[in-house]
Amino acid sequence: MTHLDAAPAETAGVPATGRRRYWLPVLRWEGGAVALLAALALQTRLYTGQERTVTTIAMFVALAAAWNLIGGYAGYACFGQVGFFGLGGYTAAVLMTHGHLSFWLALPLAAALAGAFAALIGWPLLRLKGHYFAVATLGVSEGLREVVINAGTLTGGGAGITIPTAGAGAPTAWLGNDGFYVLMVLIAFATVALVAIIARSRTGYALRAINQDEDAAASMGINTTVAKTIAFAGSAALTGAVGAAYAFQQVTIFPERLFDVDVTVLMVVMVVLGGAGTVLGPVLGAVAVAFASEWLRQRFTDVHSFVLGALIIVAVVLLPQGVTAYARDAVRERRLSLLENVRRYRL
Amino acid sequence: MRTRMFLTVGVVAVLSAAACGSKGEAGGGAADNGTLVIGASLSLTGKLAREGILTREGYDVCQSVVNDKGGVPVAGSRRQLVIRYQDDTSQPDTAGQLVDQFNDKGVKLLLGPYGSATTEAAAAVVERNGQVMADSSGADDAIFAKGYRQTFAVLSPATEYAASMVQAIVDLADPKVRTVAFISADDGFSKTVTRGGIAKAEQLGLTVVGEEYVPNGTTDVSGALTKIKPRRPDVIIGSVHLAEGIAIVKQAKELGVAPSGGFAETVAPPTPDFTQALGATAEGVLGSTQWTPTTAGSDKWFGFAGDYANTFAAKFNGRQPEYHGAEATAACLALVLAVEKAGSTDPVKVRGALAGLDEQTFFGPLKFDSSGQNRTKAMQVVQIQGGKPVCVWPANASEAALRWPATKAAA
Amino acid sequence: MAGDEGGGVNQLAQATVYGLLQGCLFGLVAVGFSLVWGVLNVVNLAHGAFVLGGAYLAWELHDAFGLDPFVSMLPAAVVLFGLGYAIQRWLVNLVVNAPIFITLLLTFGLQLLAVNTLILLFTANYRSIPTGYTGISLVLAGDVRVPLGRLIAAALAIGLTAALVYLTRRTRTGLAILATGMDRGAARLMSIKAAHVYALTFGLAAALAGAAGAAVGAVGTFSPADAGRLTLFSFVAAVLGGLGNMWGALLGGLVLGLVESWGGQLLPGTLVNAVAFAALVIVLAIRPQGLAGRAFYASRLEA
Repeated sequence: MTHLDAAPAETAGVPATGRRRYWLPVLRWEGGAVALLAALALQTRLYTGQERTVTTIAMFVALAAAWNLIGGYAGYACFGQVGFFGLGGYTAAVLMTHGHLSFWLALPLAAALAGAFAALIGWPLLRLKGHYFAVATLGVSEGLREVVINAGTLTGGGAGITIPTAGAGAPTAWLGNDGFYVLMVLIAFATVALVAIIARSRTGYALRAINQDEDAAASMGINTTVAKTIAFAGSAALTGAVGAAYAFQQVTIFPERLFDVDVTVLMVVMVVLGGAGTVLGPVLGAVAVAFASEWLRQRFTDVHSFVLGALIIVAVVLLPQGVTAYARDAVRERRLSLLENVRRYRL
Repeated sequence: MRTRMFLTVGVVAVLSAAACGSKGEAGGGAADNGTLVIGASLSLTGKLAREGILTREGYDVCQSVVNDKGGVPVAGSRRQLVIRYQDDTSQPDTAGQLVDQFNDKGVKLLLGPYGSATTEAAAAVVERNGQVMADSSGADDAIFAKGYRQTFAVLSPATEYAASMVQAIVDLADPKVRTVAFISADDGFSKTVTRGGIAKAEQLGLTVVGEEYVPNGTTDVSGALTKIKPRRPDVIIGSVHLAEGIAIVKQAKELGVAPSGGFAETVAPPTPDFTQALGATAEGVLGSTQWTPTTAGSDKWFGFAGDYANTFAAKFNGRQPEYHGAEATAACLALVLAVEKAGSTDPVKVRGALAGLDEQTFFGPLKFDSSGQNRTKAMQVVQIQGGKPVCVWPANASEAALRWPATKAAA
Repeated sequence: MAGDEGGGVNQLAQATVYGLLQGCLFGLVAVGFSLVWGVLNVVNLAHGAFVLGGAYLAWELHDAFGLDPFVSMLPAAVVLFGLGYAIQRWLVNLVVNAPIFITLLLTFGLQLLAVNTLILLFTANYRSIPTGYTGISLVLAGDVRVPLGRLIAAALAIGLTAALVYLTRRTRTGLAILATGMDRGAARLMSIKAAHVYALTFGLAAALAGAAGAAVGAVGTFSPADAGRLTLFSFVAAVLGGLGNMWGALLGGLVLGLVESWGGQLLPGTLVNAVAFAALVIVLAIRPQGLAGRAFYASRLEA
């Protein structure tokens, strides 16, 4: 069973029928710029609590887009993505606390370290496929957490580490809720844009080929190792950058949260529901799932986890290829039935 | 092509115009219309769900008792107490976010979440927003070493958890104890507890023969026990939570680790789960607790500790309160007393009233030092006797004599 | 201090014995997980929740009727078999052909549902089933203790694995399961009902998980929060031992138990989990088919 039926990457905006979809190309760069401005404009209308929620949503958009690179385009389900998140976060925290580096220096360094670590780990692990890769990366992320807990003097261990944000000891003043909102929104857009650029490049083409049939891609002369490593390291670096920003925002970070498996699963849910291997998919998925999760938590305080689990199951069964692919197929082929999806994948 | 350009420019213009508006003002006056609204972000789901729910029960008891007595007296009128809950799913960053959301709605007085990590995250945000928080369960001294002025903890600090048991053993044990070993979970709170315990033990002349750490939340402490076994301590002290606490006693029996003085653990022994899970093996284990129904002190809302226990039992089908519920009610009580004393719900005045509070309550004395912790209140040491924890120390709250050597009590 | 000279060796011996016993229990938990992965190519993230289901059932039976937890293994297995069969037949079968993230997400959603149901039904309290004999230990040379409860659990684990191997190698149903696992299309051509066989396999795995849960309840402490940890250890044991081989899962569990025990003695206690994960990553990097697995399963193309 190949990935032909799974969400292939967005087509290059060529209308299926003549004149009718001239608006599609607008959706890309101009649409992105407009969306960025809209997001920034939104800030003035939000209260602090809502602002933090939207900041979290922007963070998940960035995380989902980064995961999409290795998981959606390349088809390698990395279940240890949160390891890079935590690595980036702790690197930034340690650099700022012990090294007294400015945040603006710590952020790129954290991203670079996460990317380098991924490239290193990728050398043995990218040879594995499917579930094995997923489990191996999960093992790496859990192992990283344990290492962080045990490196007490450097990372504070289980007690967490606090970045100095006020007074003379602080290398960079805390950005404030407004500042972090802008930072996260910018990071989100930069991540989505970067992933879009990579997806349309030769590497992106190579990744999609690997996703469909790795052996055929290799026999076509594509250097699969290089392509996969670029995707893995790129995805890790972007995730590490988000982690660094998150660490600074939280000020005090603990290993249980920075290496929490649930974060990875949320990322995967967002990408899959939105549409893996598309640019817009992770964005839609992240916004939808984060909103749903927040709304559920406020409305059904006692049973929200339960309801979230049920929603995930229903969504995964009825929309396995994700919302964007479903929408595209529905428009193009006038096929709206959700049960079609079930028929396609059932035993 | 031109349509695209016009469209884009048009939308950008509209958005820029929208962006020039001023920031939405947070809704004011959460304390209008005759009610006093207090916010509480609690771990109602997630790994701290059990303790979060116990804390909520404590807050609920406070709310119902205060309202039954007419409400909180504020500058001549009386206001009904309303506590609004939100679930932080046991995650520190969510706790911080919820504090901000409360602030947006104008809720400036808060009750603390469960656990030191979430309290620490919430305290940071409370400090920034100028809200006031009464902390019911975050005992880690590290929270209060940061110079926060807006958070006040009603419970005894973490350093007392093990130190109180060490003191009790030295005071009451006969024959005298000479050596102790510590098994500690590796989270911040437990490590602070261990440090306090070791300091106290050395101060009182005991020899610490072992200090082993286990992963937080583990149910397998066999490695640590096997390492400690050949050193033969008189007492094994556990700075742990419920899971590790049960595991220590259970696996010690399996591995043949039987210190002559038995075990003393933090957090776990006073809870009913401990005796239920271990059955007869729990006999004689010492524990430290923030409160028991024999704690000295009373106040006008709840009476004595025994009265509080009866009120709680009446509300929850005869179930007796444990210290989680009591400390939660005490935090709520601290806010109520402060509001009454300040004569207003303005956070600055309430904060001032809390800082100057010096009251006796069913929970013991409530008086905060300059960092916001309640050091005047002593912890109590209990021992499992006949399947129930009974207080054995300090003398003014003890219900029974210490059975020593503890392991013989099980015979 | 007296007694310290022989202490090191005795400690290691104790750690070995304890680790092996612990490992047998891990193995029992992992056998069902490995079976589902090998045959259905589905990684069941809700496996830990099934184990807890068995533990809670055993606890309730003990509470209501005083039934010994090792005896409760049977009713726990039966109930969970039914549950597993139903879930596979009418839910997981719907996504069997989908890419792997889909099945992973589905089982994750199931785990969320299951854990929260357990919390709603039984509260998040920690429980343990106190039986009179589980504290008794046999004493070997050098004061090395062999806890009776864990010994019984280990013996049952080995027995159940042997029974499973017999079932899959010697009975028609078992052969049908193996055949469907190797080539579903060909099996269907041989008039094997794949949907039913898949459901049977999942049910079997759930039954084993339930039985393991009853044993876990007897010898250890559990609460709904343990589901994730149990699933993770099943992963590690299954991968260490290799897929496609039931004894392999048991072997993987034993290796995991030993690694954890020795790690606990030779390294600071908090590094124990890191060692387990390091072992996992190393094994996957060097020999992905595990210690006893067949290369067929490692090379098989994922859908």
